[in-house]
Amino acid sequence: MHAFSPRILISLGFVFIAAPAFAHAQLEKATPPVGGTVASASELRLTFSEGVEPRFSGVTLTASGGANVPLGAPKVEGNDQRVLIVPIVKALAAGAYTVHWRAVSVDTHHTQGTFQFTVKP
Amino acid sequence: MPTPKIRFGAGAFAGAAVALWLTPAYPHAVCGDRIFPATLAIDDPGVTDELTLPTVSYVPFNSDSAHEWDASFSWTKTITPGLSVVIGSGPTWEHPGGYGWNALDTELQWQALCIPDAEFMFKLGFDISWAGTGTGMLAGSGGQNTYSPLVDFGLGFGTLPSSLSYFRPFAITGEFSTPTPGQDWTNGAPNVSTFNWGFTLQYSLPYFNAHVAEIDNDFIKHLVPVAEFSFQTPIHNGAVAGQTTTGYFQPGAVYITDKWQFALEAMVPTTGATGHGVGVIGSLDFYLDDIFPDTLGRPIFPHGLGIAPGI
Repeated sequence: MHAFSPRILISLGFVFIAAPAFAHAQLEKATPPVGGTVASASELRLTFSEGVEPRFSGVTLTASGGANVPLGAPKVEGNDQRVLIVPIVKALAAGAYTVHWRAVSVDTHHTQGTFQFTVKP
Repeated sequence: MPTPKIRFGAGAFAGAAVALWLTPAYPHAVCGDRIFPATLAIDDPGVTDELTLPTVSYVPFNSDSAHEWDASFSWTKTITPGLSVVIGSGPTWEHPGGYGWNALDTELQWQALCIPDAEFMFKLGFDISWAGTGTGMLAGSGGQNTYSPLVDFGLGFGTLPSSLSYFRPFAITGEFSTPTPGQDWTNGAPNVSTFNWGFTLQYSLPYFNAHVAEIDNDFIKHLVPVAEFSFQTPIHNGAVAGQTTTGYFQPGAVYITDKWQFALEAMVPTTGATGHGVGVIGSLDFYLDDIFPDTLGRPIFPHGLGIAPGI
């Protein structure tokens, strides 16, 4: 019964409240949107659930034919480390594109993912 | 009134039997793009630092037609990135029947394989339910441990082609184990060995949001609807003890965040011997590897010991 004593539960509560907000970074939102269609795109903007390290995180963009699209260096947005911004060097032609991202959160946990978007003609 | 399982198994197996279907929730697992949440009926295929506190369940009529409440905790501590130890236990109340604390349960787990691109992983485990650690109506005779080798696997459907993108959030997990008492008989009563098997079918809306299409609703995009199936089939001394296959179908959902999850499922008996009436089970689970990445949630040997992959 000791495992459920109020004292221990309260202690656990304080410990969790005081914990740093680091974890596996999960993709919450993207621009262009996941599975969406846009008229054009000059950058990839990925919003994660946690802060990420741009030096150790990476994004590739692939056209429907398999060719890699040149991208600029990733950076985070101002003081918000949850937002990873990757410039697209050249204007995208119409077609389907695949984004593959790999994120390393500030506590070094790795996550990765893939999604598609379409640039309309 | 003690359940038939307790009467048949005077040893430690008796103490463990009641909780076989009401075991603590299990840790989440990450392999490639896939996050397998902790599930309630079977273990997930990963090894991580985690605290499940509590898991609570209610069954209106168990196999003895008694009302049954169970509560439990489970703590998983990684030794190396691929090796962990799990410790868990908890009380059971029955009416009619009484009260008792389940036998202490420990498990050694090894993350044997993770193929990130295939979203496939499995682990091997060895569980011991320790004799003499149960109390009250679950005390038993205290004469023997129960040993359970386990295999757990998980497979995400993320490798499906883009034309089937709406099926990519699906995943399955499964578990096989054979709880075996240390003795066939105790004080003239048979101890039953069983083959436990179960699987889950999951549809991850966080995966959908990150891979298929964005979900605007912040609550829904953190849900993982899940259907669990778990069965326990006697393979030794079952006929002597009068036991047959029991099991539950558990539909429900998991709300998953970066650091914790909450799971809630119904418990629907799948055989007449299991009991009748729909029960409910819920658990709160803390991802210690994400909450305390540099201390409590970190493997004791974070770089491994060089013995085997992950160890």
